[in-house]
Amino acid sequence: MHRLLVFLAIPLWAQAPPNHQRDLDSFEKVWTTIRDKHWEKSPGGLDWQAIHAEFRPKVEKAQNIDEVRGLLTEMLGRLHQTHFGILPATVYEEVGVLGDADAIGEGSSGIDLRMLEGQAVVTRVDPGSSAERAGVKPGWSVKLANGVNLQAAASELEADPSIPEIISTRVLLGRISGPVGGKTQITFLDEAGAEAKRELALAAPRGRMASFGNLPDTPVWFESKLIDAASAGSKGPAGYVRFNYFLDLQRVMEGFGGAVKACQNCSGMIIDLRGNPGGIGAMAMGMAGYFLDQPGLRLGTMYLRDAQLNFAVNPRFPSFAGPLAILLDACSASTSEIFAGGLQDLHRARVFGSRSAAAALPSVIDRLPNGDGFQYAVGNYISEGGKPLEGVGVTPDSEVRLTRAGLLAGHDAVVEAALGWIETEKAAK
Amino acid sequence: MNREKALRRLLSGAFFAALFAACVFLPAGPALSEDTPTAEAILDRFVEVTGGKAAYQQRKSEVVHGTVEFSAMGLKGSMVEYFEEPGKFYMAMDLAGVGKIESGLIDGVAWENSVLQGARVKTGEEQAQALREAAMNSFDHWREVYPKAEVAGEEQVDGELCYKVVLTPAEGKPESMYFEKKSGLMRKTTVVAASQLGDLVAESISKEYRRFGDILAPAKVTERVAGQEFTLTIDSMEANQEIPAEKFAFPDEVKALLARQKK
Repeated sequence: MHRLLVFLAIPLWAQAPPNHQRDLDSFEKVWTTIRDKHWEKSPGGLDWQAIHAEFRPKVEKAQNIDEVRGLLTEMLGRLHQTHFGILPATVYEEVGVLGDADAIGEGSSGIDLRMLEGQAVVTRVDPGSSAERAGVKPGWSVKLANGVNLQAAASELEADPSIPEIISTRVLLGRISGPVGGKTQITFLDEAGAEAKRELALAAPRGRMASFGNLPDTPVWFESKLIDAASAGSKGPAGYVRFNYFLDLQRVMEGFGGAVKACQNCSGMIIDLRGNPGGIGAMAMGMAGYFLDQPGLRLGTMYLRDAQLNFAVNPRFPSFAGPLAILLDACSASTSEIFAGGLQDLHRARVFGSRSAAAALPSVIDRLPNGDGFQYAVGNYISEGGKPLEGVGVTPDSEVRLTRAGLLAGHDAVVEAALGWIETEKAAK
Repeated sequence: MNREKALRRLLSGAFFAALFAACVFLPAGPALSEDTPTAEAILDRFVEVTGGKAAYQQRKSEVVHGTVEFSAMGLKGSMVEYFEEPGKFYMAMDLAGVGKIESGLIDGVAWENSVLQGARVKTGEEQAQALREAAMNSFDHWREVYPKAEVAGEEQVDGELCYKVVLTPAEGKPESMYFEKKSGLMRKTTVVAASQLGDLVAESISKEYRRFGDILAPAKVTERVAGQEFTLTIDSMEANQEIPAEKFAFPDEVKALLARQKK
């Protein structure tokens, strides 16, 4: 389908109107979208028609695309709301945020990356993957990927505050990916700082392909285990659950319930949502039910144009009443934030790691006639504690960051901090 | 069978509503003319044109099979419903990728259960709504359910001029029903439905009336709630079937919940 759309787009672009008309069309598209899709009938409390009357003549007089972008940004800025913005077309060209998905491909070498200390650092190597077979270790940094200087790219991306870390990370992951069945050439810097060149086979991504309505099939994996207390420097076993999406509803929900059931005698539970970009919002409510025994609680409220939706939680049994730690990082978004933020607000969980992606709203990135990107949100979500998550994110109770040195030494500082807290809680009781 | 009521039951399990916004716009209608019938006459006419009071009163149970589709989301599934007087009800939807979503009513206990949200027992306005809907399975009971009914105007629904009748239940918010002037058939309902997610404005459009036994009922009902639109298509509706008691029994999850609540 993606290829078909690209094919169809070619003649449209070839027949594009003159630049000024495209800029005017872009202005109209932005203004109309906000008028029709913003969750407030008077977006931002503004007279949106008056905004049109004010800005349209200015756009008509604009001399170049930079002026148009400035005007659109100023107009969106009047909303004083996050996740409304214009992404210059050059951003797409430079970092490939949206385009060229086919060229990037879905093949995986089994490596997960994060931006740490200005570098693209391996944070996880999937068991059985080509990366594991090639001896790649967490803590190694990626210097070159298929001829692209990823070290420089990571540094530039990290220095640009306009690009969220979740996007930067996806860009970097895209650079080490490719078509399934292909190979990726990566030059790492190992624990000694020496170059380690590897050619890694790209396999289908980890997980089982899951369908949900019109969403593209997505590989979903779920894992749960009891962390061996001794090896983690802890005094008692803790349950550990991690999954990459809030999708594959039946399997993941049943796996989650099964993990809770198997953990009735655990000293605590850790739900690791690092890197989890979200999925079906209602799964946050369903999962939270295993940790709350009081009816009538909710994680938060979503405000849409004509509805106010409570993210209500039903207590579920068998539940888990012990210490609950949730792990987040800058790539934890949407449903992950709703789940973590709600349970944090209800004082039921302690959050470890780093601030989440602050992308808890259903927001859309669309392309404008002039080639720029336009991001807009269609709803507002307020966590139960009264805080918006959008643009703010979930702030951990214990800020713990991975370091390259720690990873090289075989430590996951975030998991260890959570385990330490669980032990403290257990000891206190 | 009142299909709009059946669809409204889906709301209680409709987590889909958590995803998108709704926009329901109800334009004001023209003033009432002197020959506008009373609400009572409009409702009684609906009973008459869909089969008559005797036909409704003969229906003591009902088994419905159909399909449900959330077209915008690309979700489809099956639906089954059992109803038996007095006040026994069970409905299950099974959607690909979502699993089974069940709801029911027995001995005055209204419940729902799903893989996604677990089990819960409805209370307050939600429970009252479930009881009311079970009673309204047979539309000729409307006087017992709605102490107040009045005509509020005339409006176009799908190109047909309809009487708008506002019915006020003993407990709960007023509901609007739209009856086609020409045929007397119900074409639309709008309600503020109580749900766990909050009060949601729900609009149902009834189409393709056809005969199911002695009763004329819509074979297709499209519901819009909180930005979501889904369509229920009835494949079969059989009256006075012998329904095994276990069809109305509480699922294990609901039994466990009720047992905990008694402690």
